[in-house]
Amino acid sequence: MRLQRLLLGILVASLVPAAASAASTIKIGFPMPLSGPASVYGVPIVKGAEMAVNEINASGGVLGRKLELLTRDSKASADEAVRLARELIIKDSVDFLSGTLTSAEAPAVSTIAKENKIVFVAPTSKTIQLTSPANLHPYIFRLASNTDIDGRTGAAIIAGMKDVKKVATIAPDYAYGRDAVAAFVDYIKKARPDIEIVDQQWPKLGQSDFTPFITAQMAKKPDAVFCDVFGGDFVTLAKQAGPLGYFKMINNRLADGGEVGTTDEAQALGNDYPLGIWSDAYDPVIWGANEPAAHKAFIEHLKAYTKEKYASGWAVMGYASIYALAEGVKKAGSTNSDKVAKAMLGMSFDTPIGKLTFNAKTHETEMGEFWGQMVKDDHYPFAVLKDPKYLSQGPYTN
Amino acid sequence: MMKKSATALLRRIPWVLVVFVAALTVPWLGTRYDTFLATQIAISALFAMSLNLLLGTTGLVSFGHVAYFGIGSYVCGILMKTYGMPFSIALPAAAAGSALGALVFGFFCVRLTKIYFAMLTLAFSQIVWAICFKWNDVTGGDQGLPDVPYPNLDWMSQVPFLSDLRIGGQFYVLTLIVVMLSLVAIKRIIASPFGLMLTTIRENPNRSASIGLNVRSYELAAFVIAGGFAGIAGALFGIFNRGVFADYVYWPKSAEVMIMTILGGIDHFWGPVVGAATLVLLNQEITSYTEYWPLVLGIILLILLFVFPGGIVGGLTTGFAWLRRKAGGRADA
Amino acid sequence: MFDVSLLFGQFLGGLTTAMFLFLIASGLSLVFGVMRVLNFAHGSFYMIGAYLAWQAVQWLAPALGSFWLAAFAAALGVAVLGGLIERLLLRHIYGREELYQLLLTYALVLILGDAAKLAWGTQQLSVSRPPILNGGFEVLGATLPAYNLFIMLTGVVIAVAGWFVLTRSPAGRMVRAAALDREMLGALGANVGALYTGMFVVSSFLAGLSGALVTPIQSIVPGMDVEIIVEAFIVVVIGGLGSFWGTFWGSVIYGQVLSFGILILPGFSLFSVFALMAVILIVRPWGLFGRPLR
Repeated sequence: MRLQRLLLGILVASLVPAAASAASTIKIGFPMPLSGPASVYGVPIVKGAEMAVNEINASGGVLGRKLELLTRDSKASADEAVRLARELIIKDSVDFLSGTLTSAEAPAVSTIAKENKIVFVAPTSKTIQLTSPANLHPYIFRLASNTDIDGRTGAAIIAGMKDVKKVATIAPDYAYGRDAVAAFVDYIKKARPDIEIVDQQWPKLGQSDFTPFITAQMAKKPDAVFCDVFGGDFVTLAKQAGPLGYFKMINNRLADGGEVGTTDEAQALGNDYPLGIWSDAYDPVIWGANEPAAHKAFIEHLKAYTKEKYASGWAVMGYASIYALAEGVKKAGSTNSDKVAKAMLGMSFDTPIGKLTFNAKTHETEMGEFWGQMVKDDHYPFAVLKDPKYLSQGPYTN
Repeated sequence: MMKKSATALLRRIPWVLVVFVAALTVPWLGTRYDTFLATQIAISALFAMSLNLLLGTTGLVSFGHVAYFGIGSYVCGILMKTYGMPFSIALPAAAAGSALGALVFGFFCVRLTKIYFAMLTLAFSQIVWAICFKWNDVTGGDQGLPDVPYPNLDWMSQVPFLSDLRIGGQFYVLTLIVVMLSLVAIKRIIASPFGLMLTTIRENPNRSASIGLNVRSYELAAFVIAGGFAGIAGALFGIFNRGVFADYVYWPKSAEVMIMTILGGIDHFWGPVVGAATLVLLNQEITSYTEYWPLVLGIILLILLFVFPGGIVGGLTTGFAWLRRKAGGRADA
Repeated sequence: MFDVSLLFGQFLGGLTTAMFLFLIASGLSLVFGVMRVLNFAHGSFYMIGAYLAWQAVQWLAPALGSFWLAAFAAALGVAVLGGLIERLLLRHIYGREELYQLLLTYALVLILGDAAKLAWGTQQLSVSRPPILNGGFEVLGATLPAYNLFIMLTGVVIAVAGWFVLTRSPAGRMVRAAALDREMLGALGANVGALYTGMFVVSSFLAGLSGALVTPIQSIVPGMDVEIIVEAFIVVVIGGLGSFWGTFWGSVIYGQVLSFGILILPGFSLFSVFALMAVILIVRPWGLFGRPLR
């Protein structure tokens, strides 16, 4: 077998110069959780990215070349994401990287991007560690909001509830959960020094049984909760916490920064959705009044593309990250990552939910999200965000 | 007569050296991806060989061998990334750390036999996993330790051929050297009186005890040595993988290395190496067509268990023996 | 600081986990006790039971009683699967080195895991609680969901029924005899082969049933097979491999250690159950109720 490989190696090595000159596709590596609890978000993100690639290719591609998306299942594991990223670079020779959902995967893939000098646009990872001064490098760019904004917005919402005195937190035990809760605690202490943090629980990502955490938290009798459990885990949490009387006890005063306000999550939970809680989404999908025309068109296309009755609130992030990369390549006039990285500093690009700009210093868009209370709506068989308001930095105003 | 001298000649060739030289050519003759695969094979081969010290040589079925691989990865990764220590210190430290772990855990494990031994090794392995997963400050918890630095390989730019290689190729050469030295060491250990005692224990533990062998001490010694070499493989892997993550210490990884060892054949020195190479290459091939690699692996395992219990090397030697008998038969007639 | 309702709440939670784990682990323990096979694929049977139940609910709902029918059908389906596996594959490796047995059942884990992915995809699936069991009770200040109570009662019923069958019925006597000395049993004319198949079928039925019953309170997701089998191993080790009551009490202990571990050592609840398993194996390897095994 080794001899075969050696001969093949010689053959390939002699062919490479010829291949490079032919018009080839621009390859984008896209590891994303396609299995497990995180896939509730991961699968629609991939669909959004695929739709973007199709649209761009249909109008001629970028710099005359078509885009090619290489999707892989990262299983929401940092280990797997790193392995896939390296294979995509070494075996598949991708030009750029995007994807990864969680705050465990993205920082790990970021180090691979740095080492191989490849631009990596992370659409959804929120941990501030991704772009902290210690970890920042020329090739990393982040679309998503970050844990600071999440935690502070959640704190602003709960701070606005005048009769809340005791607060608890429950969040997954890794960078995302820890950083968001840290930001929450920091801000709520400043906004409402009279509030006491009575309990903090740290289930693991992918926890199958939340019951001991729920009952332990209920015993401390909090008035409100900041929760950052997301995706499939929130489905499990809600199904277990509901019957135990958790939401009833806190009168649904729960703020969740993990986008459980998306249509994807609401559909996954169906009738088990704890109505009355506050949550967020990058794309509320069901906009209400003043819906931008670009968004309306996007949702129509998305529904047609995915052949689903109700559009996903996550697809927009995959969609936007592809467009961001395409814009970067266009602006740089090349697929060389050094040039693209420079071009993307301070670059603005359009998305269905508004114009975003990569901050030249922090490489983030610092975007906020649409927050609102989850209510029953007779037009839809699932819970819906009521009056979604765009909140980023700054306090929530009623 | 001719056959005898051919076999004797085959035995005189220093196979470890031959394989080493052949493997060394990969970075120059193959693509960057070939080097990537070859590094993976070399590290997996060492890991499988270390397990075979327990499985094939001593007859101990350990279902928690990945714990020592993991300890080695973390020790090396932490020393090199968090404390900036050089590889020349981190590697021996990793081996020492995993050997120590094997000593502590092994002390309890060798007092049990068969299924209980396997269960206790699994329990300890999961404890190591739980610690790696939860001790955020030291091990990075769920995020792990990304960005483990490469060792300082500047000295390689002095050497004529090595200076042409990328860092990946240079690290491959280093890995190959470490792995081959380890294989030589393991070979010596197996052939030594100590190794022969281990084989005796595998054949018949009760008889060994009755002739005065302190079975437990020998088993513990084997456990510690196997742990140490697994730790070296782990240290190399942490650097190769560009990061150390808790996932790698989860128990299915122990099953994976066991499959590699058995696939190759536990009764032959080169068995685990062949198994590791086969599994890594098969994995690459199959995953490019389908995502259902576990299904394929399971089927291969079933075929192995029912048709080729001796593994690939076992099957090959049986095949050759059969051929020789046939040829010998004809010659006599 | 710790008031009664908190402690009682944790206790109830621990009991639910315990009884539910007992449902799974009892089958594992029985098979090991009689056939000396440690079946890794037991977790896979559990997972397939869950998927089959989900599938049946999709087909049967919104008919009345659809959940119960689905659960029973799922358990039956897994029982058939178990019987087939025992007849075709497992019976060829009895008496061989346990390494081969472990690897055979592990091969099944790999195959069944991917088979489930092929059939039902990789995303998380969910089943709602049956309407009859939607409510809850207030007990000593803690809320006990009706469904959890149902699980607890089922566990106790299975424990009692199992004990009754094992000690009082002729079949049970054969099973216990086979656990002690299978060769003698065969020599006495008993159909040991049929006994083994029967045991495996019952064990698979229990695994499938517990998988089906867990669907309203947990999510059905790839990887649940690997996660549960280690928990089941811990439970049978604590209780004693092959001991039926051992498994019961092992489950109870496991459930409470997990539940109260959160209060005492919040960061290390994960760690506490493995540590418990290790301690038992070190101090008393045959478990609390088991027989010393050679």
